[in-house]
Amino acid sequence: MGNQTLQLPERVNIDTIPDIYNRVKEMVHKSSDSDTIAIDFSGVVHIDTAGVVTLEKVQTDANERGIELSFENLSPTVEKTMQAFSSRLLEKPAGKQKPHILEYVGEYTYEYWITLRDFILLLANISYYGLVALFRPKLRRKGEVIRQSNFIGVTALPIIMLVNFLIGIVLSLQVGIQMRPFGAEIFVAQLIGFAMIAELGPLLTAIMLAGRSGSAIAAEIGAMNLSEEIDALRSMGIDPIPYLIVPKLYAILLTIPLLVAVATFVGIFGGAVIGYTVFQIDFNAFYNEVVFILRYYEIMTALVKSIVFATIIIVVSSFYGLHVEGSAEGVGRATTSSVVVSIFLVIVADSLLGLLFYL
Amino acid sequence: MANPIISTKYLSAGYDETTVLDDVSIDIYENEITVVLGVSGCGKTTLLKNLIGLMRPTKGMIEILGHDMVYIQEHEYNRLMKNVGVLFQGGALLNSIPISYNVAIPLEQHTNIPDYLIQEIVRLKLSLVGLGHAYNYLPSQLSGGMRKRAALARAIALDPAILFADEPTAGLDPVTASSLDNLMLTLREQMGMTLVIVTHELSSIRRVADKIIYLDKGKVLFSGKLDEALESEIPEVKNFFSV
Repeated sequence: MGNQTLQLPERVNIDTIPDIYNRVKEMVHKSSDSDTIAIDFSGVVHIDTAGVVTLEKVQTDANERGIELSFENLSPTVEKTMQAFSSRLLEKPAGKQKPHILEYVGEYTYEYWITLRDFILLLANISYYGLVALFRPKLRRKGEVIRQSNFIGVTALPIIMLVNFLIGIVLSLQVGIQMRPFGAEIFVAQLIGFAMIAELGPLLTAIMLAGRSGSAIAAEIGAMNLSEEIDALRSMGIDPIPYLIVPKLYAILLTIPLLVAVATFVGIFGGAVIGYTVFQIDFNAFYNEVVFILRYYEIMTALVKSIVFATIIIVVSSFYGLHVEGSAEGVGRATTSSVVVSIFLVIVADSLLGLLFYL
Repeated sequence: MANPIISTKYLSAGYDETTVLDDVSIDIYENEITVVLGVSGCGKTTLLKNLIGLMRPTKGMIEILGHDMVYIQEHEYNRLMKNVGVLFQGGALLNSIPISYNVAIPLEQHTNIPDYLIQEIVRLKLSLVGLGHAYNYLPSQLSGGMRKRAALARAIALDPAILFADEPTAGLDPVTASSLDNLMLTLREQMGMTLVIVTHELSSIRRVADKIIYLDKGKVLFSGKLDEALESEIPEVKNFFSV
């Protein structure tokens, strides 16, 4: 093609650059080695940073292809702008070398180990301060046990009652329909009684608490962590575990047995309502069947389970709250992880305790 | 004299029953660096929010680049904001994406520039604020000062005609603060940018300001050139510059 010239418009800016870029690219494609392209700036009165970056880029690309691309007739003002925003100013981004797959494996294993270690340490700390703070109330935040008991226990009661009532209804209906062909509907009462007391009452209450109170605890501690409130406590010589977390532990340990008792009662009542309305089982007969199957052993099982579940919820939500990093998004991630891990560990603990108590 | 690029007439604004700005009338001309001053709570940030259309005044008129900001339509506002850059006090970066993506957002949304050129422009903007090395960093990996610089890079991504900056050099070390001041002067000289800066940093004010607007209890107590402000006999203004 030989020599080509491109006359630039009056304004070389973010609006005109795509067109200029396409025209120069076309000229470069049509050119061969040792051809020259002149970019004529004689009409340019304004050039912005996008203009500077683009023209320098096309010049570099053309030169790499052996085509000489030159800038001509630059006014002093335009030349000054070109110098002020030249890509020679560009700093190199800090590069990361791609690690080997074994490094990935090693890194993840190490991270999991550290997480597990921190979790066990936190569990040990909470257990220790849980005992110590019983005798040294000054370690705890004043009035916090009552406030947390109200939040974890009282305000959670309506939703826990509703969920357990509905589960009682559904369970009773499903079991009763299966038993009807054998004329054994009366056993619905025994099954509902046993399942609600030993299994569903504590489990459903714990799942609701993990979702409701666990997430709130993780978010609260996480936000405090981000705004350096935890650091401020430490700098004042106050250990955040007895001060912030132990009151929550006391509150949940105080309220969860009561919540489980109410949840179980309401669940059984839901079953009795269906028993009476669908399977014609008298309330009195239903009650007698429940009492017949009920042993202290089931009540103790429910109590032990609820205490274990409560401890899991507090330790997991505090762990994720204390490990929040970065920004508000980190709080969201910690909250989600706290709920997912709490529910998972509650179900694992429920399975293990079930095996322990009934094998 | 040329028409002002930013103008308010009898502007009053506030929150609920509280009036923060009371009859504020100002004119800012093209290619000027105007610094808005005043003690905490005098209405500087409220003025800035009204100027950029994030708050509606209770009374008065605001005109930016010939557009009436009080009755502006949404599509017209979005088009206008291509020519206006805003640096917020806390940076206001999107925390879930690297700072390079943050700077690229206005370029991707408002231009047809090819992606690889956008990356070059982003690198230049980050280098201008001294963050070229932090291209792939998340905002949470940066210090407060670095986040503010990244936010400045985003605010100037489209080479806007007007840049509003809320405390751009607060919390920065003197060397970085000085380099940002120089960058603002360069933007004014080379790009013809008009800058409205809210700041308390005396050294910055002396370095960059052409014009001073001093607010006191929501009213304009002083408006004039930097030299006049330095010589002012108004007690509040005199007190401010003699600290």
